[in-house]
Amino acid sequence: MRTGDFKQTYGELVTLIDSPPIWLWSVVLVAALIVAPHVLNSYALSFLMIILITVVGALGLNILTGYTGLISLGHVGFLVTGAYAYAILVSKYQMHPLIGFLGAGVVPALASLVVGAPSLRLKGLYLAITTLAFSFIINTLILEARWLTNGARGISVQRPEIFGISFDGDAAFTYLCLGFAVLALFATLNIRRSRVGRAFVAIRDNDTAARVMGINLHAYKLFAFVTSAFITGLSGALYGIYLSFVSVEGFPFLLSIEALAILIVGGLGSALGAVLGTILIVLLPEATRMVFSLFSAQMDAMFTTGAQELKSMLYGLVIILFLRFQPRGLVGAWHDIRRMWVNWPLRY
Amino acid sequence: MQYFTQLLISGLAIGAIYGLIAMGFAVIYKSTGLVNFAQGEMTMITAYIAWTISTTVSGNVFIVAIGAIIAAVVLGLVIERVVMRPMLGEPVFATVMVTIGLAVILRSSINFIWDAYPHGLDVGFGRTIVRIGTIGVRTGQIAVIVTLLVLLAAIWAFFRYSKVGVAMRAVAADDRTALLMGISATRVHALAWAASSVIAGIGGVFFALSYDLSPAMFQLGLKAFPATILGGLDAVLGSGLGGLLIGITENLAGGYIGSGMKEVAGFVMIIVVLMIRPFGIFGERDIERV
Repeated sequence: MRTGDFKQTYGELVTLIDSPPIWLWSVVLVAALIVAPHVLNSYALSFLMIILITVVGALGLNILTGYTGLISLGHVGFLVTGAYAYAILVSKYQMHPLIGFLGAGVVPALASLVVGAPSLRLKGLYLAITTLAFSFIINTLILEARWLTNGARGISVQRPEIFGISFDGDAAFTYLCLGFAVLALFATLNIRRSRVGRAFVAIRDNDTAARVMGINLHAYKLFAFVTSAFITGLSGALYGIYLSFVSVEGFPFLLSIEALAILIVGGLGSALGAVLGTILIVLLPEATRMVFSLFSAQMDAMFTTGAQELKSMLYGLVIILFLRFQPRGLVGAWHDIRRMWVNWPLRY
Repeated sequence: MQYFTQLLISGLAIGAIYGLIAMGFAVIYKSTGLVNFAQGEMTMITAYIAWTISTTVSGNVFIVAIGAIIAAVVLGLVIERVVMRPMLGEPVFATVMVTIGLAVILRSSINFIWDAYPHGLDVGFGRTIVRIGTIGVRTGQIAVIVTLLVLLAAIWAFFRYSKVGVAMRAVAADDRTALLMGISATRVHALAWAASSVIAGIGGVFFALSYDLSPAMFQLGLKAFPATILGGLDAVLGSGLGGLLIGITENLAGGYIGSGMKEVAGFVMIIVVLMIRPFGIFGERDIERV
C-alpha cells in the first residue's frame, strides 16, 4: 500500500501535477479566473489585471534570479524596452499587435545579450551593479532617441485587436493578460523541469561544480538572460497597454525593487512562489491602506498624498522581514503548513 | 582652455564627493564583504540632519560638523545593530537584499520626516567664490577636495599602522581565523558601519553645502558606485581616487557631448571597467580555488 510521498520513475519526478487533488484545485482556479472578469467590479478587476501582468514579469525575473541565481537590479530596463518596442511597432508603424508582442519579446532579448555578454565574467554583486547601470543607460537612450521614442513625451498605446477580437474592454483585456500569464507560467515550469532548467539550478547552487559537470556556463547564463528578458519584455508591453501610455516615468526604478521583493516574498526559485509573491505584493499597499483607514480618515489622507513613498517603504519592510524571519518565502511557509497538517500531532 | 579648466575643477569637486561616498562603500565591503546599497540614503540622511541642526540649533560650522558626525555614527551603529547583525552568517544574496530594502525605506522616510522640497544648507561658508587667475572656485569645492585628500591619508595610515585597522583587515581577509586570534568580528563590523556612515556623511554634507538638499540626493550613492567599482570594491584608497576620475569624466562628457551623457557617463564607465578589469583598477584579483 502506498504510504507517504515517493517516486518510482524519473518521469514521475518531473511531472507538473502529481496528485488528483492538485488537478482538481487547478481546474477550479482556472474556472474561477475565467468567470472572474464578468463577476468582479472594475475596481477589483484592475487589481486582477495588474496581478496577471506582474506575474508575467516576476516569472521572467525568476528564471534569471530564482533559477540561475544571477541578481538583476535592472529588471525595469527590460520592462521598459519591451513596452517601447510594442508601442513603436504598433502605434507608430501600425503593425499587427502580434508582431508588436513578438518585438516586445525579441528587442529586450537582444538588449539582454548586450548587457549579458560583459556580465558573464562577473558574479553576484558585480552583476547586480552592471544590470543597475544598464537600466539607467536604457532610460537615457530612450530619452535621447527622440526620432524613435518621442523622448520624454512618450507614446500612447491603444488596446489591441487581434484576429477580429477586440481587447478594448476591461474583461477582454483581462483575458489577454490571463493568456500571457498562463503561457509564461507553463514556459517557466517546463524550462525548470527540462535539461536547461536543471543546468540553471546547478549554476545557481555551485557554478564551479556545474562547470566541472560539463555545463557551458557562458551559454547557459546568456540563455537565462535571453529567456528572462523575453518574458519580462512581454510583461512590459502588457503594462504599457494597461497604462495606455508608454513613457520613462511610467516605469520607475521602484519596479526593479518590487520584482525582487516579489521573488523574496514568494520564495526564490519557485514559479508558485512568484505567483503568490505577486498577489501579496500587489495587494499589500491597498490592504494596508484599508487597515489604516479603519483607524482614522487622517491616515487615509496620508496614503493618498504619499502613496509612492508608503509603497516603497512597505516593499522595503517586507523584503527585510521576510529575509529575516521566513527566508524561504510564502512557498516555504506553505510547505511547513502542509507538512504540519499531514503529520500532526507528530513532528515528522 | 578656460572652459576645460572650469569643467575639470568642478569635476574634481563633485568627484571628491563621489570619492568620499565610494570610500564609504569600500570600508563596509572591505570588512564585511557586502555592498551596502543603502549608502546613498545614509549619506542623504546625515546631510538632512546637518541641515536640521543648522536651522534649529546653531548655524556655526563646527557645531553643525560635530553634530553631523555624531549623527552619522549613531545612524551607522543603529543600522548595523538592528538590521545587519541578525543577518550575520546568512548568504550574501540575502544580506545585500536587506540593504536594498533598507535603502528603499530610508529613501521614502525623508518625505515623512522632512519634506519633498529642496533646501540650501547655509553655515556661512562654502558658497563664496575665490578667483584663481581667471577661474572662479567656490570655497566649499576647495574644502571638499582637501577633506578627501586628508581622509585618504588618514585612512591609509589607519589601515596600515593602527591596531584596529589591522584587525579590520584581518576580519576581511579571513573572519574565522581572525575570530581565533581574539578579534571580535561583530565589533569590527559595527566600527566599519559607523566609519563608513561618517565618511559618506561628510560627502553628503559637502554636497548640501555646494548644491542643495533634496529627496533625490540618494542618487549620489548610484553615482558613487562607478567610483567604487573603478577603484576596486575592496580598495578604500582606490575608491577615493576613482571618485575623482568619475567626477572629471562625467563633467567632461556633460560639457562636450551632451547633458544626457553626464547622467550615464559613470555607468558606461562601470561596464567598460568591469569588462576589462572585473576587480577594479586597484582591487585585488579574486582567485577561486576548487
